[in-house]
Amino acid sequence: MNKIESICIIDDDPITVFGIQKMLSLVVDCSDITVYRNGKLAIEGIKKRIEENKKTPQVIFLDINMPIMDGWQFLDEFITLNLTDKVRVNIITSSIDTLDLQNWEDFKKKTAHTITFNNKPIRKEHVAEITKIA
Amino acid sequence: MILNGTKTIQNNPLVKQLPTATVFTNKKFEVIYASDKFMSDFSFEAKNTFGKPINELFTTLSDNWEKKLYNYLTDESHDANLNYTLKSAAGSKWYKWACTAWQNDTGETIGLIIHFEDITEKKLKNEEGDRLQSLLDAMCEISQIGVWDYDILNDKLVCCDVIRKIYDVDQDYEFTFDAAISSYKDGYSRNTVSMLVHETMSKGTKWNEKLQFRTSKGKEIWVQIAGMPTYLDGKIVGVKGTLQNIEKEVQSETKTKENELLLRTLIDNLPLNVFIKDTESRKILVNKSECDYMGVDNADKLLGKSDFELFNEDVASLSRAEDLQVMETLIPILSRETINETKDGRIATFLTSKIPLLGNNGKAQGLVGISMDISDIKQKEQELRDLINVTSQQNRKLVNFAHIVSHNLRSHTANFSMLLDFLTNEKNEEEKTHIVKMLTHASDNLLETLENLNEVVAINTNINLERKPIRLNQRIVSVKRNLKEFLVNNNAKIINAISEHTAIKVIPSYIDSILMNFITNAVKYKHPDRPPLITLSAISENGFIVLSIEDNGLGIDLKKYGDKLFGMYKTFHDHSDSRGIGLYITKNQIEAMNGKVTVASEVGVGTTFKIYFNEQN
Repeated sequence: MNKIESICIIDDDPITVFGIQKMLSLVVDCSDITVYRNGKLAIEGIKKRIEENKKTPQVIFLDINMPIMDGWQFLDEFITLNLTDKVRVNIITSSIDTLDLQNWEDFKKKTAHTITFNNKPIRKEHVAEITKIA
Repeated sequence: MILNGTKTIQNNPLVKQLPTATVFTNKKFEVIYASDKFMSDFSFEAKNTFGKPINELFTTLSDNWEKKLYNYLTDESHDANLNYTLKSAAGSKWYKWACTAWQNDTGETIGLIIHFEDITEKKLKNEEGDRLQSLLDAMCEISQIGVWDYDILNDKLVCCDVIRKIYDVDQDYEFTFDAAISSYKDGYSRNTVSMLVHETMSKGTKWNEKLQFRTSKGKEIWVQIAGMPTYLDGKIVGVKGTLQNIEKEVQSETKTKENELLLRTLIDNLPLNVFIKDTESRKILVNKSECDYMGVDNADKLLGKSDFELFNEDVASLSRAEDLQVMETLIPILSRETINETKDGRIATFLTSKIPLLGNNGKAQGLVGISMDISDIKQKEQELRDLINVTSQQNRKLVNFAHIVSHNLRSHTANFSMLLDFLTNEKNEEEKTHIVKMLTHASDNLLETLENLNEVVAINTNINLERKPIRLNQRIVSVKRNLKEFLVNNNAKIINAISEHTAIKVIPSYIDSILMNFITNAVKYKHPDRPPLITLSAISENGFIVLSIEDNGLGIDLKKYGDKLFGMYKTFHDHSDSRGIGLYITKNQIEAMNGKVTVASEVGVGTTFKIYFNEQN
């Protein structure tokens, strides 16, 4: 089984979070999975980890539509963080809005991190595929 | 008595004393006796006269004199005359020779008695008359104006050749007064000419008329006839006058009149405003459309007036500048869109053309203006534009809504799909129960979402719900009463600065929902350091009643969230009861009543929503 040191899930929908967690438990070996209910809490959490010299997440599951700070706003701030390792950001959304796809294309150009766009529903096999170190 | 061949000639004393210039000749035409008058008239001396033949005395006699004189000797009538011209330094003199045979007691012709009559004066007079006559003839011929003369006493009408031509009759046609009168067209023309001639005969009036006339060939023409009396010893003895064929003139005049009428009819019935202005921009011609537009029933009320007297100052100045430009450059202005405002404040949009009117000197002596009132078209255009705006706005809303629906439904179905997948593969009973619980939760979420969407659809489809005028304050009081417990629990205070009389035209159920939503939001997102204070006020602005709801709550960072504030399922504060549907529905309700909503906010200070209620439809 693939071993990942740190994973983070950013989503306000408890069912999706439950699903991702459940699938992760089947496909990867990871003892550090953190859940944030929106982008703001996530960026704060990640910053705190950096301050505390904790391992920053290697894989992030990111929802787009969230209160307070949505997925795109999170990415705006996230790509400015001074991280040594490349992070894999998997966007998980039910949106088929072309605007969201355009945003995704823009962010891919703006950052060295790996960003993927995945439409719901997602399957265990797919999660296994996208849960690896960038 | 003197005999033929007598050498010594003794003048006869009787003949000598005759008061006329007379000579007696023998058959050889030698002078036998002569009157003193003869001698002095021709300045003859006795010794060179008596016994000398006539032809020697009068050297300029024509060649056939002798033959003529011989004729007189034999002719019993003795009546013919011989004319003789005497030329002297004083000029020519004309004489008429009246010759009579000289007979003796037995009736035998023994010579000739010749009377010399000085006819120079008569002759000159005749010549003058002839000259005048020929002048008159020439004048008639050139001007084609005929002359006529009616002698009342003898009932005789004399007409010149020109009149013959007008009557279309031969040289030998004899005019009669009655026939001449009946040549005029039955009715007005004949009555008029009869009356006028009669008036001249009785009162001596002069006249000049245009009448209809029928030629001998039955052709109808227009003539100009004039008449005046002829006096003799102070009494009217005749009527004379002129007659002229003016058919061509009348025809061309009629033609001109017809053309004028045609043009006038055309100009007046054009659905365009037509006007002509002089160099001072004063109107000198206006058509019916222009009169109608200016609100006058008579063109005279516009003629001679400048734009400054008809339009407001700005419009008139602009128009005058255009006029000057056109008249100076001679380049027409074509189909320029102009906005006119009349003195009484009516505003209309025109497509105006101004074309310079050239005088003989090649300079503009004014301009022709043609303008078309396109106010209706303009208004339609504006309506169309408004409609397009509304449509595209609706379209945007629809696309937006479609995305919301698709996103929300997709996220729920994705969850179902995922949870069901887990359930089928799950062996652990406890976990199975957990998943089923989650499925139930997902199902509830889906139902709620559907209800929300349904509510939005209802608002947008029931746009024809009747708007009724309501007192804004009454609704506020009602909403406050419903929220009493909530407000008290949160220690919230509402300041209502809205006038008792402020009325708005709304769908009553919507206004309650709107007020409820904004007030609860203001309390819900209160600042932790102070009790919520909500201030309500209203003003009238550009056809809208603007309700302003100001709070002292948390405030929203509009830079970050401004474009999402009224979106569906957008929440900006970490509240467990934020559903992210309230403002979306509120906005839809406001827009369904043709209103709009704006927001101003400062984080940590408060938020002000302004709701615009459309006073029209």
